[in-house]
Amino acid sequence: MSFREKSAWISFVTILLVFGAYFWNVARIVGGNVGGHAGFVISISLIGAFILLEIVLHITLMLQSPEEAQAPKDERERLIELKATNVAFQVLMVGALAGVGMMHITRSVWVMGQHVLLAVVVAGLVRSGVQILYFRRGV
Amino acid sequence: MGDCAIENQIRQLRFNHGEMTQQALADRIGVTRQTVNAIELGKYSPSLEVAFRIAAVFGVPLDRVFHYSPASR
Repeated sequence: MSFREKSAWISFVTILLVFGAYFWNVARIVGGNVGGHAGFVISISLIGAFILLEIVLHITLMLQSPEEAQAPKDERERLIELKATNVAFQVLMVGALAGVGMMHITRSVWVMGQHVLLAVVVAGLVRSGVQILYFRRGV
Repeated sequence: MGDCAIENQIRQLRFNHGEMTQQALADRIGVTRQTVNAIELGKYSPSLEVAFRIAAVFGVPLDRVFHYSPASR
């Protein structure tokens, strides 16, 4: 498995786990199961954990294969990145438009903010997932 | 996705050139080993430039390395 495929796996799994927990926490806040302050602390901690995990795992990966990590992307890797970003952009657009629609359901800026974040997270997940798919199945 | 109408003889040509490894070929044409593997397996059609580089490494014309067969699609 190439360095960039491993990198895509790291991003996919990290986003899935950490933001899965994040939005579960958001659902608990909305449901009134967690207090506002405690929920905020958990949310910030999870975002911090996400950044830390991404950095630590990518540094570990770079140390395992430093030559591959420093090599520029070749044409296949660039094509995969472009195609995955294109798909993710469509997802982000749909999420953003749905966010606009949310204005008719809620006036809460916090809920709308979470919705926008959800769109960004899903787009990131789709980007990594599509990259993995192209790396596995061919492009 | 991944179905490629361009077939290639890279595996055979590597064998004929002293069992050249995918990594050695990849280093000479400026791509990753995984990309050479994907080209060999027909999972990726390389750019014209990379195709010419591969042919140059083996010292053969381009049509000795790649050929188009729409029936295989």
